[in-house]
Amino acid sequence: MIRGGKNYVASPPAFSNDAKKILICSANTVSIFSTSTGLLIGELEGHTAQVSSVIVVPATSGGSKVLCYCWTSSLDGTIRYWDFAVSELIKTIDIRFPVYSMVIPSFLSQPREGNAKPRDIFAYICTAQEKEQTANLFGRIQKCNLSQSRLVGNLILGETETPGPIAISPSGKYIGIQEKRKLRIWETPNKDSDHASYKKIRLHHTKSLTTLAFHPTESIIAAGDVTGRILIWRGVGHRGISGGNSLISGGLVKHTNGKLGVRGYGDAEERPGVRGNDDADSCTTCHWHPGQVDVLFFSSDGAYLYSGGREGVLVVWQLDTGKKKFLPRIGSPLLHYISSPDPTMSSISCADNQIHILKMPSLEIQRSISGIKPHTSVPEMYKGSSRGIAFDQSSAVASVCTDNYCVQFYSLLHDQEVTEVRICERNHQPGEEVTIVVNLVSLSWDGSTMCTVESRSPEEGIGGLQSLKFWSRSPHDKSFSLSTVIYDPHREAAISDIAFHPNRPMAVTSSYGSDFKVWVCSETQQKDQMPLSSGWTCHAVASYKKKQMTAATFSGDGSVLAVAAETVITLWDPDRNILVAVIGETVEPITTLSFVGKSKYLVSTSHGSNPLLCLWSMSSLALSWSCKLFAQDIACSLDGTTFAVLAMSSDHSQSDKTSQISDGIIIIFTVEKPVPVATWFAKKATAGALAFVQSNTGSEESMADEKPNELLAYMNNDREYVLFDPLGKEAIERSVPHETAVGLEEAGRFGYASVYGELPEFKLEERQDPLISSVPRGRTWDTLFSGPSHTLPPMTKLCAVFLESLLERRNVEVE
Amino acid sequence: MAMEKPRNFPVKPKLKPTSKNSTPTSESKYWKSFKHPKDTPPQTLVSSISSVTFSPVSPHDFSITHSATVTLFSTKTHLPKSTITSPFRDITTSSSFRSDGLLLAAADLSGFINIIDVKTRSSLRRLKGHSRPVRVVKYPRIDKLHLFSGGEDAVVKYWDVMTETGVFDLLGHKDYVRCGDVSPVSDDVFVSGSYDHTVKVWDVRVSSKGSVMEIDHEKPVEGVVYLPSGGLVATAGGNVVKIWDVIGGGRLLHTMESHNKTVTSLCVGKIGKESGEEGQQNRILSVSLDGYMKVFDYAKMKITHSMRFPNPLMSIGFSPDCSTRVIGASNGTLYIGKRKVKKSETEEVGLVGGLWPIAEPEARVLRPSYFRYFHRGQSEKPADGDYAIIRPKKVKVAEHDKLLKKFRHKDALVSALVAKNPEKIVAVMEELIARKKLLKCISNLESEELVLLMGFIQRHSTTPRYAALLMGLAKKVIEMRGEDIKASDELKSDIRNLKRDVEEEVRIQKSLQEIQGIISPLLRIAARR
Repeated sequence: MIRGGKNYVASPPAFSNDAKKILICSANTVSIFSTSTGLLIGELEGHTAQVSSVIVVPATSGGSKVLCYCWTSSLDGTIRYWDFAVSELIKTIDIRFPVYSMVIPSFLSQPREGNAKPRDIFAYICTAQEKEQTANLFGRIQKCNLSQSRLVGNLILGETETPGPIAISPSGKYIGIQEKRKLRIWETPNKDSDHASYKKIRLHHTKSLTTLAFHPTESIIAAGDVTGRILIWRGVGHRGISGGNSLISGGLVKHTNGKLGVRGYGDAEERPGVRGNDDADSCTTCHWHPGQVDVLFFSSDGAYLYSGGREGVLVVWQLDTGKKKFLPRIGSPLLHYISSPDPTMSSISCADNQIHILKMPSLEIQRSISGIKPHTSVPEMYKGSSRGIAFDQSSAVASVCTDNYCVQFYSLLHDQEVTEVRICERNHQPGEEVTIVVNLVSLSWDGSTMCTVESRSPEEGIGGLQSLKFWSRSPHDKSFSLSTVIYDPHREAAISDIAFHPNRPMAVTSSYGSDFKVWVCSETQQKDQMPLSSGWTCHAVASYKKKQMTAATFSGDGSVLAVAAETVITLWDPDRNILVAVIGETVEPITTLSFVGKSKYLVSTSHGSNPLLCLWSMSSLALSWSCKLFAQDIACSLDGTTFAVLAMSSDHSQSDKTSQISDGIIIIFTVEKPVPVATWFAKKATAGALAFVQSNTGSEESMADEKPNELLAYMNNDREYVLFDPLGKEAIERSVPHETAVGLEEAGRFGYASVYGELPEFKLEERQDPLISSVPRGRTWDTLFSGPSHTLPPMTKLCAVFLESLLERRNVEVE
Repeated sequence: MAMEKPRNFPVKPKLKPTSKNSTPTSESKYWKSFKHPKDTPPQTLVSSISSVTFSPVSPHDFSITHSATVTLFSTKTHLPKSTITSPFRDITTSSSFRSDGLLLAAADLSGFINIIDVKTRSSLRRLKGHSRPVRVVKYPRIDKLHLFSGGEDAVVKYWDVMTETGVFDLLGHKDYVRCGDVSPVSDDVFVSGSYDHTVKVWDVRVSSKGSVMEIDHEKPVEGVVYLPSGGLVATAGGNVVKIWDVIGGGRLLHTMESHNKTVTSLCVGKIGKESGEEGQQNRILSVSLDGYMKVFDYAKMKITHSMRFPNPLMSIGFSPDCSTRVIGASNGTLYIGKRKVKKSETEEVGLVGGLWPIAEPEARVLRPSYFRYFHRGQSEKPADGDYAIIRPKKVKVAEHDKLLKKFRHKDALVSALVAKNPEKIVAVMEELIARKKLLKCISNLESEELVLLMGFIQRHSTTPRYAALLMGLAKKVIEMRGEDIKASDELKSDIRNLKRDVEEEVRIQKSLQEIQGIISPLLRIAARR
C-alpha cells in the first residue's frame, strides 16, 4: 500500500539550520527534502491528521548548526518534538484541540544568558473550538508551555471567527493575526512566564486583510488586503512605549494624550493614513497587485519587502524608495515565502503544489520541488467533457491536466514528478475566469502517444476553439513532442471522449456533435535521412441517428470499437467503419464505457436521476446484469475478470448536486454476478479516479518469478492517491521507497564558505559574547568590530550594543 | 527535478498545414538560381524554337534555330548577336558548332546542310544528299572534318565536310530520324533516334555492318543524349525518358515517367559548385510539351527538381560553364536563365595577369603615439580553438505582445491592425477573446481605428481560415458600432463591400453544396462495392 500525492503547500515549510534541508508539511507527515537536489530524503511520521506548522529549533551558536530538532503542530490536537536528522519522535504534547497554527517567540528573541537556567519555552497556538449551539468552528489563541507539556491554564489571548495562521515578528516580540478588517497584535513579554501580561494593539483598515508581516528591527507592520493593496504602518506601538517612558520627546507625549480621543484635523495631519485611534505614527499604501495579496515578508535587514499574490509574481519593494523588482511568470498563485539561514536561499510555495527554491539576490528559481498538481478549475460549459487524468498502466504513471495549460506526468510508485508537458504556449493570465483549459488527456496503451484536448471558451458566442493535439514520445529521453494539431475536430461540438486502439496507432474521438472520428497515424520516411515523421489524419467519420456520442472504447484485441450514442451502445468495425451491432438501451445517457480486459464483457455507467452500472455481454449482445449505482469511475483489470467501480453514495448524487465533495465506495466486481468481491470506503471521492496499474518495479528481488501484480490506484479529489493490491488479504502500509543515497545533499558549500572555506569557530563565539552579555567587560567594543565585515550583524544591531557598552562603562566610572 | 525556466510566450497564429517538401533542398535552390537577367528584355522569336546549341568554346555563345533562321546569342548580353537567314530555304531544324566554335552546321527542311562561318555569317559549304528534310546534324567531339546528319528519309549520313561528299549512308532506320548525339569519348561513335521507336548506335569504323547496337524505346524517339561518361544514353519518347547502359549491351537502367506529355528534348546539365572534377554532378534536364522542365539525378535515379513554364517547351540547352540555361518554347518564347557567378570565380581570371607579389610591409611595433595603438585587438577574430562566449540573443518582442503584456488591449489590437499581417491580427484577436476583452476593445475603438478594423474584416472575412471568427466578429461590430458606421462614408463603403463579399460567399457555398449533393450518392454507391 503506497500513499502519495500529498499537498506540500498547505502550510509554510521551514529550513533546517544549515539550509541544506527543507521541512515541508505534507498531509500527516513532515517531508524532508534536500535543497541541493530537490529529492525527498526523509519523513517524520506520527501525526494522525494534517500537520499545520513546523518550527525548527534555531541554532544558538555556530557549533550547534548541526542541531536537527523541530516542533510540529497538527490538526490531530498534538504538538510533537522531533529529531529530524534521524526521523525520531522525542516528545508529544496533547492539546486535545486541533492546532491550526503555532509560533514560538522565544526561539527568535535574544538568546538567554549563559548561566541562567533554561527557561520554559512557550508557544502560541491557534486552536479550533466548537461553538456550543452550532457546529461551526472558531479560533482561539492560546499559550502552551512546551517545556512542561501543558497549556497555560485559562489564558486566552483572543478568539477569532475562523482559526487561521499566527504571524510572528522576526525578533519574536510581537505576534499577530488578521481578522476581517483589522489586525490584532500582541506584544509578548520579554521574560515569558505563565503569568505574563500582554499589551494589545489593533490596527484597522477598510478592506478585508489577508496577510501581515513584521519588520525585523523597527516597529513597522505590513498587511495585504483583498484588493491588492499593501498597507505599511510605521511606528506601531510607540504610544505604549512613550506611555511607559515619559522622557522621550514631546511629540510622542502628545500622542499619549491622543489616547483620550483627540481625533481632529491636526491629528490626521500628523499621523497620515492612520485610521481612528490606532496606535501607529503613519500608514502608507503600496498598490501594485491586481488581486489579493497572500504573501508578505520583510528581508532580514529590513530594507526590502517581498509580496506576492494571485497573479503569481513575486514583487520586491525597496522600502525607502518604493522601487520594485519582479520575479514574473511563476505561473501560479503564491502562498508562502520563507527565507533560510543561508542568505542566498529562500523558498516560495505556489498554489500548484510546487515549492521553488530561489537563489536570492538574483531571484532565480534554482530548484523546484513539485508534488502532484491540483485540479484545474474547469469552466461550466466543459464540465461534462472533462476528465483531466489518464494513467499509463504499464509504468504506473498518472498524467494530470494542470492549470497553466500543462500536463504533468507523476510517477505513482515513486511519488515524484516525472515530467511536465506544456500543451498550449500561452502566458499565465491571472484573471478570475478560466478561458483556456486542457480538459481531456489520454495516453495510448504503450504510453508512446498522448492525446490532449484544450478548449477556449468563446466571448459572447465568437471565437470558441477546441484543439485536439497528438503528442509522440521520443524513445530516448521520454519527452513528448507535438505531432499533430487539429483545430475544431468536430466543428463547434465538444469532444466527449478519446480512446486509443490497444495495439495500433489509431485513436477515436467522440463528440457531443453526433459524430465520432477515427484518427490514424501515417508514418512517412523523409527523403534525406530525416527521422520518421508521423502525422495523424482522419481515417473515418461516422454518426448514429444524429445522437450525441458520449463515450468510446476499443475492445481488448482492438477488433471492436464501442461508441455510446446517448442511451445505446453502437459497435463498429474500426478499420472498415461499418456498424456491426447496436445494443442497449439505458434510461440515462451513458457516460463511461469500458471493456473488461480481454473478456467479452462491456461495462457502462450512466449518471443522472437514474444512475446505472450495466454489464453487457458481447457474445449474446444483451444486458448481462445491471446495478443501481452512481459510478464516478470504473477501472478494468487487464486479466479480464474483475473491475473496480468508484461509487458515490447514492443519496448524494440525487438529492443535492451542489454538495461539493462527498465520500464514496470502491467496489470490486467480477463479471459473473453483481455481488461485490471487496469494498473500501473512499474519502473525497468527487471527481476521483481509479485505475489498475502494474507494479513490477517495486521489489524485483522478491518476486522476480511472479507475474507483475496489479495494483489498484485510487486518486481522490485533492489528487491524493493510494495504491493497493485489491486482491491481497491485508493492506500492508509500505512507504514510498526513496533513494536516500541519491537524495542526500551534494557535497558543496555556499556563500562565503564556498570561496574562502569555513571560518574558524572561535570567531563566531567571540561575536556571540558582546551580544549576550550585559555585564561590561574591560574593552568589549574592541572586539566588537573585529572580523570580516560580512560576518558582522547589521549595523543597527551593533550600534546599539556598542553605545550601550560605552554608557555602562561610564556609569561604572562615575560610581 | 525538471525545471523549466519561466518564459514569455508571444501570441502565435494557428499552425498551418505544412507540405512535406516545404524546405527547398540545396539542389532545387541551385536550379532556381537560374534567373532571367534583369537588364535584358524577354526574348520572343517568331515561331517554335526547334533547337538550342551552345558553342563549346568560351564565351559559349548559343545558336537558336527557329523559322528559316539561325540566331546567334551572346551569353554576356543575352541579346541576338547575329541572325543568319540567307542560306536557308525552309524552316531550320538543327545546328551544331564545330569543336573550335568557328563553324556552325545548320540543317533545314529543304534537305540541305549549310556550313556557316560564325564570324562572317556566310555559307561556306552546302551538303546535299538527303532527299527529305534533315532533322539532326552533329559535329563530332573533336574531329573538324566530318559530321553526321539524319533526316526524314530514314537515312543517317556521315559527311566529309571539305569535299561536300557523303562518306557513308547508314541504313537501318524504318522511319524518320529525329534526333542524334555524338559520343563524348569517341569521335567515331554516335547515336540516332527515330520514329520507328529505336535508337541505333553507329560506329563509322565498322560502317558496313550497319548499326552496332539497337535499343527499343517503345515510343517514337524525340530526343537522345549521351551522358558524359560515354557509357550511358538517355532517350526521350512519348512521356518517358529512359536511361540505357550502352557498354553493358543496351540494358535498360531506369525509366522516368514524370512528364505528362511528350518529352521533346534532353540535355545534360551540371551542378558546378566547385570547379573540381568531384564537385561536378551531372543531371539530365528534360523538357516537355506539358511545360515542365525536370531535373533527373541519374546517380540516385530520382527527380531532384521540377520547374513549370507557361508554354509547351520544345528545346533546351545548358552552357558548358554552368552559367546559362536556355529553354525554347513552341510559341517562340525563349526562357534564358542566368546564374549569378560569385566574384571569386571571375576574379581568378584577372589574377592570372602577370602581377608579381608585392612584399608585405614589415609590421611596425605599435606605440602609444600611434592611432592604431588604441584600436589594437578590436577586430580580432576568434581562433579555431577558442571558446566563444556568445552574447545571449535579445528576444525580439512584437509591439502587440508588449502591449498585451501591459494589458493595453485596445492598443495591441490597433498595433496589430497597423502591421497588416492577417495571421497576427487574428492571433491577437484570439488572445483577446481568451481574455474576454475583444468586444470591450471594439467598443473603445476610435473612428479611424474602426476604419482599420472594418477594412481588415472586409478583406478577410471570406478567407476560409479566418471566416469562422471574422463573420461573427463582423456581426458584432455592426451591432455595436452601428451609429459610427452610419456617420462615416468610408465605413459605409466597407459595409457595402462586405455585403457584396458575403453574398458572393453564399453563392459559392450554395454551388459547393450542389456539388456535394451530386457527389455524395456516388460515394455511397462506391463505398457499397
